[in-house]
Amino acid sequence: MRTDAATAPSRLAHHFPDMKTQEHAARMGMWLFLSTEILLFAVLFAAYAVYRYLFPIGFEEASKLAHVTMGATNTVVLITSSLTVALAIHYARQGENRKVVGLLGVTILFGAVFMVLKGYEYYHHWLDGQLPGRLYHYAGLKGPGVSMYFTVYFLMTGLHGLHVLIGMSVLGWVAWRAGRGEFGPGYSTPVELSGLYWHLVDLIWIFLFPLLYLV
Amino acid sequence: MTATTHSEGKHLGPAQYVMVWAALMVLTGVTLAVWKTDMSYAARVVVALAIATVKATLVAVFFMHLWEEQGIARLVLVVSAVMVALLIGLTLVDNATRFPFANPPYSGSWAGEPYQQAAPPMQAEPPPVRSSPASNVEHPAAHKP
Repeated sequence: MRTDAATAPSRLAHHFPDMKTQEHAARMGMWLFLSTEILLFAVLFAAYAVYRYLFPIGFEEASKLAHVTMGATNTVVLITSSLTVALAIHYARQGENRKVVGLLGVTILFGAVFMVLKGYEYYHHWLDGQLPGRLYHYAGLKGPGVSMYFTVYFLMTGLHGLHVLIGMSVLGWVAWRAGRGEFGPGYSTPVELSGLYWHLVDLIWIFLFPLLYLV
Repeated sequence: MTATTHSEGKHLGPAQYVMVWAALMVLTGVTLAVWKTDMSYAARVVVALAIATVKATLVAVFFMHLWEEQGIARLVLVVSAVMVALLIGLTLVDNATRFPFANPPYSGSWAGEPYQQAAPPMQAEPPPVRSSPASNVEHPAAHKP
């Protein structure tokens, strides 16, 4: 509706000299937040590494139970959703809010597809008794480390899935703001920061996929 | 430290983003293709992780705009990566150099030693009828310290 709502002075907090500095500080803060997210996941990656090291055969055999086709499809879905977010940021900077809404909508849709496929995988692991720790009761594969693989699998994909859901919500909010025509050359910070978050979610999946489904 | 402007030249356009996306797709395909070859297991693991690192770098540099970012924001991701490497690397070194009994029972190692004899053998049977959870929980490694 009103594009002039995005004019610089109204957005500028009084402790910043200009919009450039303010925006740089915002992205800097987002990167610092993302670094804490990376370290949060790093702990789980470390747990994976340790148990992978302790139970190489158990992990190798158990990872064959993962649904590779689903995982690969989800990889394609997430990478494509990263592209749509990158394009949304591009158009937000140019003030083409209608395109931003469309692209973010597609991104959220991809996120939903990801979650549905993930849920389908979970459901089948549940049916087969391929569950963490003592809950594991799949008779087709037994041995040390096998249930530990599923503990790590559900922790890592679960935390990642939670991030996908949060990312979808944030992008939905940003899309709503784009629908009101808030973004333009002078102001696109919310699109950029939520985009950074979504890219991080993609980035983590890029490592999760080979580690959990292939290795 | 200068703040970056969006009118400055370094900007990527939709065409470049699509190219990065295409590269990511190709690399995903390569990961899967290499995984199905009969290279040694260790080689396939190394290739899969190397490709994942390249993909992550592409996402960070182009999609996450580190390419056009200026100043200290570019350093944050690098520092995080170093910290992650330290965390995982040193934790593994700890486990690798332990007195063997300090590791969980039946744990093997990368060193090519045989999987311990005491461990119940790995058996891949055809998927049987599902049984109740309580009936065959027989899992020495599940004991927590």
